[in-house]
Amino acid sequence: MTPEAVNTAAAQADAAAVQTEKKLGGIKGFIKKYENLGYKAKKKITFIISRIFVYFVLIEMAYLFILPFIYIFSTSLMTSQDYMDPTVQYIPTTVNWDNFVKAFEALDYVKSFFNSMGTSLLSALFQTTACALIGYSLGRYKFKVRNVIFFLVVLVLLIPPQVMILASYGLWATLSLVNTWGPVVLPCVFGLGLRGALFVLIYMYFFQRIPDVMDDAARIDGAGPIRVFGQIMLPLVKSAIAIVFIFSFVWHWNDNYEAPTYMYIDGHQTLQPRLQNIQMYYSKYATSQGAMSELEKSLSEPMLFAGCLMVMLPVMIVYILGQKQLAAGIERIGVIE
Amino acid sequence: MKKQVKYKKKLAHSQKYTLLSFEKKRSLEGFLFAVPWLIGFLGFIVVPLVLSVRISFFQTVLTDLYGFHGTSTYVGFNNYVKVIQDPNVGETVFKSFGNSLIKVPVIVAFSLFVAVLLKQDFPGRTVFRVIFFIPVILAGTIMTYLFRDGVGNMSLFSSITTGVQQINSFFGTIMSNIGAIMWASSVEILIFLAALQSVPATLYEVVEIDGASAWETFWHVTLPYISPFVILNCVYALVDSFVSSDNPVMAIMNSMTQEGTKYGQASALSWLYMLATLTVIMIFILLTRRWLK
Repeated sequence: MTPEAVNTAAAQADAAAVQTEKKLGGIKGFIKKYENLGYKAKKKITFIISRIFVYFVLIEMAYLFILPFIYIFSTSLMTSQDYMDPTVQYIPTTVNWDNFVKAFEALDYVKSFFNSMGTSLLSALFQTTACALIGYSLGRYKFKVRNVIFFLVVLVLLIPPQVMILASYGLWATLSLVNTWGPVVLPCVFGLGLRGALFVLIYMYFFQRIPDVMDDAARIDGAGPIRVFGQIMLPLVKSAIAIVFIFSFVWHWNDNYEAPTYMYIDGHQTLQPRLQNIQMYYSKYATSQGAMSELEKSLSEPMLFAGCLMVMLPVMIVYILGQKQLAAGIERIGVIE
Repeated sequence: MKKQVKYKKKLAHSQKYTLLSFEKKRSLEGFLFAVPWLIGFLGFIVVPLVLSVRISFFQTVLTDLYGFHGTSTYVGFNNYVKVIQDPNVGETVFKSFGNSLIKVPVIVAFSLFVAVLLKQDFPGRTVFRVIFFIPVILAGTIMTYLFRDGVGNMSLFSSITTGVQQINSFFGTIMSNIGAIMWASSVEILIFLAALQSVPATLYEVVEIDGASAWETFWHVTLPYISPFVILNCVYALVDSFVSSDNPVMAIMNSMTQEGTKYGQASALSWLYMLATLTVIMIFILLTRRWLK
């Protein structure tokens, strides 16, 4: 064949291909069209599609994560009739503020709030400082027993508190510190306590990321170790401080295992165990008998959730106030400077 | 001339032998920063652990609950034997282990997915980042009430997965609670976000120039780079589900302590349980140590 013949044959084949493509239409034609687009246009299309996908998925998940809030809030405003009525969903027929008054009484709110706030705030303050010390030691220094100490920290993370609670209770009882804030706050003074090991690891991670130049410069200028730690290093890990403080406060506030075990007498309790009493408290009024039926339980449910909202409130305030710091911390965590 | 050399030698000498060498001084400093924690470790971890071993070998009957006084008699390994022979305990422990082993991959996969999405730069991401930490606020007793009212089931995901429930009840019960499982993944999301942000941006630029798609980039660049953090998250999620207070084993332990006569058995159970969990975690780390580097 001559070259011209080859060319015409190729042209014919091309034309045929185009025609079949037109016939195919639909998705295949669409893909073909997409493939023929330029690099920039392609990038823009994938960008838009990925954006839509990201927002769609994130909004669905965010809904899942906000749902409990909505549920608690709407249930706390319902009357028992509304709660039992399957046609009432989320929006109560009448707003019933009475739930809050009753929950306030059953929670013994002022005293329990004082106990919860005291233990959580003190513990959080002590943990933020003490865990910073050990985290600094593990993150910035190389010494002989460093790896041993690191191993111990990881071990503490892995030991369930349930293993020690009996023996610890015995110890605190012999020190006659049961029903005081001591058993919760004192371990935090040394950087242990509720999830202390995790906080140590967070600090360690943050301190490791700071370049060596920073403290070398300060040392050459004649700063001592404490000054380097307090004036150079701590300001550099502000975001870690925010994260540790907020998490420590929130976890102590929500602790329904250790604090209720150590502080169980009326007037010494924190809010979490009092919450479990709400339903019993009102069933006593109803029947003056110990046991309560399923019906009674569900009747007092709106009160319970009003109580939940009141227990959550301070934590929410801390969270909203610290939210900017926290977000900045999450943003900066792991960024190589 | 001679005098000057001698003087220089003396100077060098005096500089060399200060109280401690530079290296030693630095390591001493580091150790001193760790001392408070070590004291606390001795007081609040080692002493209670030793005491709890002691309790597990005794039969204790409390006479005064408040002061924690009582009579105790040495019974050797009796408590351990009783715990192992109790069929109820064995079943619960195995069930809770099974539950954790299914839960953990779901939590880790979900949190990795969310972290990858949140890592991207788009308007409003800070809002989403904050929203995903809400479950941390709700933890504790409130969460239990929410579970009881079935709030964890009200999502698109669980309506998709209810089909699974009919096929396999064990797997299905977990999948139908998928919302509740996701609520447990806040800390994991945080760790993954940190890990993702530590991947150097230059790596991504290089593969983009080489023409890799987003999918390929994820599997060949991102995942290998953050593999240690995947393992770390698995370990954290395992520990979290072993230790959480809604674990049925913990409920058994609590009921034992409330009876007042079974302190020895409760301690024995807690030790056995701890050893079992540590073994599971150690096996897991051994199996995955290839990816830890």
